[in-house]
Amino acid sequence: MNESFFLVAFVTAIVLVVGAYWIAKLIAPHSSNAQKGEPYECGIPTRGNSWLPFKVGYYLFAILFLMFDVETVFLFPWAVVMHDLGTNGLIMITFFILILALGLAYAWKKGALEWK
Amino acid sequence: MDNIRERILSLAPEATFEESQILTAMIPSDKFREVTLHLKNDKDMQFDYLQDLIGMDWGETLGVVYRLFSTSNNQCAVVLKTSTADRENPQLFSVSDLWDSANLYEREVYDFFGINFINHPGMRRLFLRSNWEGYPLRKDYNMDSNHLTMENQTIEEMETATTLNLTSEGLVNSSFQLFGEKEYVVNIGPQHPATHGVLHLRVSLDGETVKKIDPHFGYIHRGVEKMCEGYTYPQILHLTDRLDYLSGTMNRHAVCLCVEKALQLEIPERAQYVRTMLDELTRIASHLLGWGCMCMDMGSITAFVYGMRDREKIMDIFEETGGGRLMCNYSVIGGLSKDIHPNFLKRIREFIPYMRKMLKEYHTLFTENPIARGRMEGVGYLTREQAISYGVTGPSGRASGWSNDVRKIEPYAAYDKINFKEMLRTEGGTFDRYMIRLDEILESLKILEQLADGIPEGDYRAKTKAIIKLPEGDFFQRVENARGDFGVYISSKGDKSPYRVKFRSPCMTLASALDPITRGEKIADLIMIGGSLDYVIPCIDR
Amino acid sequence: MEVKKIHIPNMKHEDFNDNEYLEKYVEELHKNGTNVIIGKIDDMINWGRSNSVWPLLFATSCCGIECMCVGAARCDFARFGWEVTRNSPRQADVMFVFGTLVHKMAPVLKRLYDQMAEPKYVIAVGSCAISGGPFKDSYHVIKGINEIIPVDVYVPGCPPRPDAILYGMMQMQRKIKLQEFFKLPEQPVIK
Repeated sequence: MNESFFLVAFVTAIVLVVGAYWIAKLIAPHSSNAQKGEPYECGIPTRGNSWLPFKVGYYLFAILFLMFDVETVFLFPWAVVMHDLGTNGLIMITFFILILALGLAYAWKKGALEWK
Repeated sequence: MDNIRERILSLAPEATFEESQILTAMIPSDKFREVTLHLKNDKDMQFDYLQDLIGMDWGETLGVVYRLFSTSNNQCAVVLKTSTADRENPQLFSVSDLWDSANLYEREVYDFFGINFINHPGMRRLFLRSNWEGYPLRKDYNMDSNHLTMENQTIEEMETATTLNLTSEGLVNSSFQLFGEKEYVVNIGPQHPATHGVLHLRVSLDGETVKKIDPHFGYIHRGVEKMCEGYTYPQILHLTDRLDYLSGTMNRHAVCLCVEKALQLEIPERAQYVRTMLDELTRIASHLLGWGCMCMDMGSITAFVYGMRDREKIMDIFEETGGGRLMCNYSVIGGLSKDIHPNFLKRIREFIPYMRKMLKEYHTLFTENPIARGRMEGVGYLTREQAISYGVTGPSGRASGWSNDVRKIEPYAAYDKINFKEMLRTEGGTFDRYMIRLDEILESLKILEQLADGIPEGDYRAKTKAIIKLPEGDFFQRVENARGDFGVYISSKGDKSPYRVKFRSPCMTLASALDPITRGEKIADLIMIGGSLDYVIPCIDR
Repeated sequence: MEVKKIHIPNMKHEDFNDNEYLEKYVEELHKNGTNVIIGKIDDMINWGRSNSVWPLLFATSCCGIECMCVGAARCDFARFGWEVTRNSPRQADVMFVFGTLVHKMAPVLKRLYDQMAEPKYVIAVGSCAISGGPFKDSYHVIKGINEIIPVDVYVPGCPPRPDAILYGMMQMQRKIKLQEFFKLPEQPVIK
């Protein structure tokens, strides 16, 4: 049962996405000019290279967000089966949240949440 | 006054003086730098406010007129003129190290007349494209000399500047790039919802922090000053509303007052009272829109809708009396074009308590909001000395502690007959500029109350000749716009059209102050600071 | 072929001032070989398209304030579905040009117009955008944006009242409703 469900889901996903692209390609009007390929910057041509080394602060914000987002994702399945797991599960999840909270406190203390 | 005359003569013995209300001196160009240095640094006089710098083409010579005021003594004012006979390659000394506002003014004179300024830090055209041929405001300019080119502006065009330095070998002209090779430069505007018009800012960024801003103007430069030289005086009035369109009535008032002063025409009191009331209504409408747009830039579209709702009530009053919503077209030379509508006073009397109630709502909605406070407080400081040096007048200058209200310094129309306070704050941050506009709305409501009860009966218009010719000479009038000190300079040779018209734009100095305030702040703060300064671009570009 | 009465829910067909324009437009399209038989599906699609046109605001000067009044609460263009003003041309359907166009701004306007995706329309608002307006004697002003880009609707005034701008928008809706969906609309020719 599980294998066929997985296969059906996989095939439906591929068919829907590829189908949407293909139908759009068939019926959409086509018209292109040189300006359409250029980036939009308030009507003025852009200056310089876009692939520049960028500030590491952006990376820090993104990583912190990702970690706490993944933590939330892990909390959802526990919440669903919370009653079955009982007190044991509660203690384990508290440890999990505590470790991440320690990480947050460290980041806060070190000033990673401010933009330097 | 005589003191200043003697000092100028001691430094420049060949200086000549003209008969005028303000002391006017024509100083030869080689001695000019010493005179200005002395006037700026002298402890008694301290002329620290350069109000306007006007380029002139006097036929054989090209020159500049400087209007200097002292902020510590409001009676101290002087007008300096200097010229050069070289029309091929005119050069004068720059004063941009003494007064920061001269930086943009001198670039404007270079753009329109071709005068290069020695020791200016970065000379390039201000409004027109770098490859524009000719200098438009010279008298021998050919109007068809430049055709439309649809080429996009290149990077060299936008980033090259020149300096003319006086070294031991003589004058050396060198060019340099404004931004380094590796700098990350982003264009904000001209087509952008938060720039309050078509302002093009090239911003050099380091992550989120702003390192340097280079504003580019001219995307709405309509050549109003050149057009005025071909029109008669009543025809000029139609162009004035469209300069700073949010204070259109006040601009029109300024030109009418200037022409009436030159003709020595007495305006009936009734006209003066009504003109003052319309000015104050325009001020309230402009501040409401400024407040609404600033809040919309922060993300609060509700505040914008509330501001516009109340502004519509003022538009109704204008439409009933004047005929137009935004462009009221009501003041003319001599008074008003027609008498006020019978409902005018009734509507104003209903509006005043309504607006007071709404202001309380605005404070509850927005000013108390912790997110708004967090974004506005601690950001964008402009000190009093910087405000004076950059010429930042109006509510933004008053928020930094500089008392510059023209209604108090040189009262005109009915302002000397009423009581009102000039709102001043000391910190000079974004929050202060925000609060001062709402406080000014309250003061304007008080002014309206006093005037509404006392409009005298009588004529609404003085008789003028059919063709208006001003006597020869230079005439100037200052008015307190919603954004600051709006000045009109008319130089006449006795014809029915002016010889030269210059509008002193309060918004140009506001936009020039954007660079020093925003260095080191983030991009989001740049938008907030621009909103709090509240400039309007057609006023800059004219 | 007779033009079927285009139905705009807020105004009757007889209240519009120039219905002959639409009939001439259809004749012109016929002459150039475009088939203008509007079927039921086209009708439905055009109803959806004309009621959710997203403007690209290009406000340069005074008319821009009347644009803000049109968007504000009293004369509200959200009633027509035009509320979402996109600032990027790639996401916009119609470009409102409010205000004067000068030589320095012309390449910017052309670039923005080229970057918009088809089908795109242009509404010129204010006398400056139509013909240069009060500034036509100037050395730096373009006498009308139709020298650079094709325009669909002109709204005269200096500045036009917000109600006039709404009337112009409704004329634009009628023009959109005439178009057949599965072909690109005819771009008007610049003379």
